[in-house]
Amino acid sequence: MRGPVTLTRFARDRFAALGRTWSQLWFQDGPTSPLELVRIGVAAAVLVHYSLASPYIFDLWGDAGWASRDVVMAIRAPWMQSVFYYFGAPWEWVAFHGLFLLCCAALMVGWRTSWVKWIVLVGHISYVYRDPMLIYGVDWIVSSLLFILCAAPVGRGMSLDRVRAVRAAKVKNLEARLPPYGSVWAGACTRLMQIQMALIFFYSALSKLAADIWLNGDAVWIVFTTEEYYNRFILDVLASQYWLVNLATYGTVLIEIAFPFLIWQRSTRPYLLAAAIFLHLQFALLMGLFYFSFVMIMGHMSFVRPEWLARLGAAWKRAMGEMEMIYDGRCGFCVRSMAWFLAFDGLGQIKVRNFRTDPSPIVSDAQMEKALYLVLPDGRALPGFEAYRYVVLRVPGLWWQVPLFYLPLLSRLVGRPLYNWIASHRSQLSSIGNRAASGQQEG
Amino acid sequence: MIWNRWRQGLTYLVMSAFLAWHTLAMLIAPAPDQSLLVGTLRTVLQPYLTLFRLDNPWDFFAPVISGSQLRYSVEDAAGTRHDFTPTEPLSWFHPAYIWSRDWHYGIMDFPERYADRAGALLCQKHAALHPVSITFVEYDQGDFTAADLLNGKHPMDPEFVTVKTVKTVECAAP
Repeated sequence: MRGPVTLTRFARDRFAALGRTWSQLWFQDGPTSPLELVRIGVAAAVLVHYSLASPYIFDLWGDAGWASRDVVMAIRAPWMQSVFYYFGAPWEWVAFHGLFLLCCAALMVGWRTSWVKWIVLVGHISYVYRDPMLIYGVDWIVSSLLFILCAAPVGRGMSLDRVRAVRAAKVKNLEARLPPYGSVWAGACTRLMQIQMALIFFYSALSKLAADIWLNGDAVWIVFTTEEYYNRFILDVLASQYWLVNLATYGTVLIEIAFPFLIWQRSTRPYLLAAAIFLHLQFALLMGLFYFSFVMIMGHMSFVRPEWLARLGAAWKRAMGEMEMIYDGRCGFCVRSMAWFLAFDGLGQIKVRNFRTDPSPIVSDAQMEKALYLVLPDGRALPGFEAYRYVVLRVPGLWWQVPLFYLPLLSRLVGRPLYNWIASHRSQLSSIGNRAASGQQEG
Repeated sequence: MIWNRWRQGLTYLVMSAFLAWHTLAMLIAPAPDQSLLVGTLRTVLQPYLTLFRLDNPWDFFAPVISGSQLRYSVEDAAGTRHDFTPTEPLSWFHPAYIWSRDWHYGIMDFPERYADRAGALLCQKHAALHPVSITFVEYDQGDFTAADLLNGKHPMDPEFVTVKTVKTVECAAP
């Protein structure tokens, strides 16, 4: 009787240990920040790539283009699907292409991320399968990364979706802080993407180790002699110093084979990341593989540790110094504007003070009646437009507003007059906003 | 309460199953499928790999690095041949360079699929020449060493290149 009981207990303990190991490997609670970096980079690359394809959509993917539909339908494998298989009229191509580009832009800025990412994935696969002849390596990588991004809870940070959520919290209380999103599923998807990147390097290295041109150290020379990548300057250097060819060839294989094994350790990760990024920069600069290299580098962002980003953020905050914005808490428009403004301050660099309830020792109430103020650590107080101008340069989430405040024509013609008008009409704007809010409530 | 526990457990199970499934897919897709195990797994995974475009070999610049260039010749009504190298005017910095390259590789590797359509498009493009036919020619690069370069040679010199006619496409009568 003891035998089966002991065996059962042994099996149960082993399964429990396996389960714990599994959870430790996959289900670590983590933020989405590494995946958000991948999202922003991959979406930007896809947006630029397909935008440049816009003049060629009918050549590349149309029925009268380079690959006829009949040929593609004859060679396609089961389960290959493309929306273009079902299009007939030219406007459908144009409409879909426009929608796809919009969704790429939305994915890049993180707006309605939970569904635009699926349109980008379906779109990309559709383009690839409509003309299978046009594929090169980066299209394989993009589909792999996009798929994982679709499974992952991306858009919860470094995104307009996050800005909207923070703004909704700050409208009720400007000092509210929405905790950064984190979940075990985010951690699992980050791990999945890391494994994908490691496998890309692993199989790439394996294929090279099975090839004589790589084992003999000649591959890099051969690349630059091909008509596609011909580079006379580099060939002249390499021909006279052939050891550089061997170094580059073996170095490429070494980085690719070391990466999948050494990228996981805390002490070696920074070096392997640097080596991988260096390798891809060489592909971009020497072979013109800009799209490929950029997408690969963004895929490697999945290995960026959240604590590195946190340290970078903290260093930035220290370098920029404290900033305190003083606002009029009685002005509804001012509070709503501040909520939007602060929603872009992901690093929490700006402190706020309502002068109605907490008067400032530096700026008088009379001054505050006229404009918002920014108080700096050295005691300087910048009013209105100057305050915004100071802040937008120093808060990364607000950099998109820099042209409005710094381009001479834009700031003089639009920025400053707009601010002055808003400041002088803020009570009217407040009452419009209050009426709209109460109208919504009654409705 | 019990349902919550069940739901948590079920969620964990579903997430784990997806992670295991997708990891297996990532491992099997590029693996050589000569073995029975990989072949069998691939059969199960293939629909998933194809549907989401995950069936990728990751064999960049291996096992061979081949250089080929497509050129074409337009024969006009008078019998004169006009030669073109289509990639010459394209810039490295624009993705059209890569799309054109891929198109050319498609024509060279699968002329029965792509050459006729390509020929028809080029007949339209060169209508001013009153073309009678388009002949696609492949310039396949051979070995070119450092010594060759130091002796003043170029990889596309005739001694290093094998020229092969891919296909001749007749232009439709206007």
